[in-house]
Amino acid sequence: MSISNWATRRLRALLHRDVLEADMNDELRLHFELAVADGVRRGLSSEQATAETRRYFGGVEQVKETYRDARGVRVIEELLRDVRYGFRALRRTPGFSIVVLLTLTLGIGANSAIFSVVRGVLLRALPYADPHRLVMVWEIDRDSGTQSENASIPDYFDFAARARSFSSLAAFAEQPLNYVATDGAPERVSAALVSGNFFPALGVPTTLGRGFSDAEDRPGGPRAVIVSDRFWRTRLGGARDVLGRILRLDEVSYAVVGVVPRTMQFPTAEIDLWVPLQLTPESGERSSHGIAVVGRLRSNVTIGAAQQEMTSLASQLEREYPRDNKARGVRLEQLEDTLLGPVRPALRILLGAVALVLLVACVNVANLMLARLTARGREVAVRSALGASGLRLTRQFVIESLILTLAASALALGLAPLTLRALVALAPGTLPRLNEVRLDGTVLAVTLGVAFAVAMAFGVLPAIASRGWGVSLNDHLRGGQRGGASPHQQRVRGALVMSEMALALVLLVGAALLMQSFWKLRRVDLGWSSTNVLRVQFQLPSTRYPQSYAGYPRSWSRILDFQRELLAQSAALPGARSAALASNDPLDPGFTNSFVIEGREAEARNGQAELATRPVSANYFGTLGIPLQQGRGFQSSDDANAAPVVLINEAAARKYFPTESAVGHRVRFWGTWRTIVGVVGNERFAGLAAEPPPAMYPPITQAPVASASLLIRTSGDPLQLSGVVRDVFRQVDPGIAPYGIASMTEVIDSSIAQRRFTMQLLAGFAALALGLALIGVYGVVSYGVARRTHEIGVRMALGATRNDVVRHVLRDGSRLACYGALLGALGALAATRLLSTQLYGVKSSDPVTLAVAAGAIVVIAIVGSYVPARRAARIAPVTALQIE
Amino acid sequence: MARPQTDVLQGTLDLLILKALSLTPMHGWGLSQRLEQISREVLQVNPGSLYPALERLQDRGWISAEWRQTENNRRAKYYSLTKVGLRQLGVETDAWRRFVGAVDEILRTT
Repeated sequence: MSISNWATRRLRALLHRDVLEADMNDELRLHFELAVADGVRRGLSSEQATAETRRYFGGVEQVKETYRDARGVRVIEELLRDVRYGFRALRRTPGFSIVVLLTLTLGIGANSAIFSVVRGVLLRALPYADPHRLVMVWEIDRDSGTQSENASIPDYFDFAARARSFSSLAAFAEQPLNYVATDGAPERVSAALVSGNFFPALGVPTTLGRGFSDAEDRPGGPRAVIVSDRFWRTRLGGARDVLGRILRLDEVSYAVVGVVPRTMQFPTAEIDLWVPLQLTPESGERSSHGIAVVGRLRSNVTIGAAQQEMTSLASQLEREYPRDNKARGVRLEQLEDTLLGPVRPALRILLGAVALVLLVACVNVANLMLARLTARGREVAVRSALGASGLRLTRQFVIESLILTLAASALALGLAPLTLRALVALAPGTLPRLNEVRLDGTVLAVTLGVAFAVAMAFGVLPAIASRGWGVSLNDHLRGGQRGGASPHQQRVRGALVMSEMALALVLLVGAALLMQSFWKLRRVDLGWSSTNVLRVQFQLPSTRYPQSYAGYPRSWSRILDFQRELLAQSAALPGARSAALASNDPLDPGFTNSFVIEGREAEARNGQAELATRPVSANYFGTLGIPLQQGRGFQSSDDANAAPVVLINEAAARKYFPTESAVGHRVRFWGTWRTIVGVVGNERFAGLAAEPPPAMYPPITQAPVASASLLIRTSGDPLQLSGVVRDVFRQVDPGIAPYGIASMTEVIDSSIAQRRFTMQLLAGFAALALGLALIGVYGVVSYGVARRTHEIGVRMALGATRNDVVRHVLRDGSRLACYGALLGALGALAATRLLSTQLYGVKSSDPVTLAVAAGAIVVIAIVGSYVPARRAARIAPVTALQIE
Repeated sequence: MARPQTDVLQGTLDLLILKALSLTPMHGWGLSQRLEQISREVLQVNPGSLYPALERLQDRGWISAEWRQTENNRRAKYYSLTKVGLRQLGVETDAWRRFVGAVDEILRTT
């Protein structure tokens, strides 16, 4: 009660300052007059009584002061006065204020934007119940070194039955589905097949309807589908009565049983439909690894303990099924690491870089503050002579910088929605959880916290400087017009610019390294020509296109017919030069297979790495421009009825047949012996950065696949064919939805979109830092010139030429830059090591990059010094001397 | 004006004010006069100590103030004891008695 009493009285004191002041005067006047009257009553003359009362009062003004102090608003009043004074001071120097404001707005704005992204993507907890208890259960293969492989269906059932560490283990597999709206053409929808316990395991509730029932997850059970919030809104009209509605998916009817929230983006953000897997332990081979497993740890089980259990469980299975589970292990990974691990390094780099930008901005502002302090030297000296304490002056500086930073933060936050939208638009779609990026309380708090720290930093600095340098009234009043900074002060400013240069250099080197990586990657030799190639993906539903391996190859005839027809019609399109089919498009690694080389069965038994396997049509190599190096390519006669053949790539030939020709050898996979008839050039399989792996290509006619990419080499812009290609599909089978229609150039670009994002932002930050450094150099050098007008005048009077003067001034600027570059080079060597995971074809310590960037810094410094140098050269000796 | 004066001990002023105000509400001058009279002019209360003390006591909620007319029709700020202040007066008085008793004991025995 006492506290609130105190607070309300303080507030009243603050708000009714004038009233209280008048009251106090009244009260004291009454006291005074009554004391005088009392004196008179005791027989004193009125003069004597007044004098006595005055003595007794001991100074009316002092009494008032102690009275005010007790009222306790002095601090607040002074603060308000300082704030008003600060505003006035900032208005007096509008140029300074605007430059500082813009610099800080850039620095703070960039930081809050990047932080919003980092928070939305990385820091916010995954939108699942107790997300830290969710782990991915990967299988590993000690022979091939695979660390994150899917599980086999029988393994999954064994895990679920025997493992005690998990409260539930769920399985899932991504699988696009053909969706046909009642009134429209088929379209392809991203979907995931999931075990019945998938949503409860993740802890994702349905916003509408329910999860899957046990019956729905049993083979032959009722067909049910759960849809994403997006699908529900855009395709189903957001109606609340969608439950029970029938969706035609891959030509089978499914009933909608539930809708999940917008934040449910697992396994990926694109998934719109979840359908039960309807698995039994007999649904798949133990050697076929087709389902991913996610588990929820029991609340008292650590991931380490669970890992131990799973490792021993894996060795049990290895003993029980030596043929299929040899060298198999299990690796647990926090779900968060699986989902966010790939983007963490880049985002952290960006956060670090943007912090550097802010640091550069701060250094710049500190520099400007110092310059302004010098100009205000007289003011400071006079104020301290008039009794302003050091603390009071410090407070004044801090308040002024607080005004500036808070205004800058307000501007930055005002612009934040715009910058955020731009940033999200620029960000690659592969960045997970982009839809969770927004300005929230945390971002706001962090922005204000940063602003506050910044204000303290460059507000306290000039105060310390002003005290440390003993600003004395005498000096300033006598120093008069020259109002010069001490050499010491100029040195400090030089040091600030130097560190600014160093910071800018670190950013510049980082940006340059990323740019080089990007360019090198963009121009990497793919092993095939990507210009003018159109890619179209499709998947054939098993309803009308039987995909049983039991009756192979006859059972696949529908698929083979479809593919033959598709190829023929596509190749005949006007503008098409040739067309090919591949199980996966060139940049998609596809799948790997174990294999046996005839006569070398022991090697396979002892564990050899699997081969990347890509079934392709005969003209795949011709269409993409992959050279045949040995033997023959595929012929149209290599069909389902002919002797099985296979091509291998150069990497495989070199690895497995280093001393002899591979042609003529036989390899077995998928239970068939196949003769190697030729060797083709290497092609990059797993993105641009990864070296081509050893690979084999069976003809698609002898190793049919239900989903494939159609690749058309065109004579002109490949995208112009996208319309007619859809027509081709409609003619061959109107029930099939082609998807992923894009030129291979686009496919390549999007495969490196994340690198481009990081590079562009870092380049932007580097440019920003350079700009700020330029301003910094300009400021310090031109200030130095102004300060030495007299000295320059003397030099010229003594015979120095204008060129001498220019050179002299430029030397000042470039000396700063050289020290800065040296410092920055050391910083860059340390900092760019963090970049190494993002680099391609260039070392983080690349000396050329470092040298060029350092050179650029020096050039910037010279540019920044040139204008003041010219100004110095124009100084007329006489005027310079007359100023004295 | 050779009034023998003793400055009020710091901390005891609060007690004296509370005691004086427990009789009747008073304005600042009246209060200082009352304190001097009761103490037979031994204690003199300077305005420089009196008014800050009054502010302090208001902060603690022990006294309250209001503007009223004096008998001579002057506007004056009258201070009066609150309920909390009355209770506090008891506490402070006991504390003071204990203190004085202790000091007295020491002076007598040593």
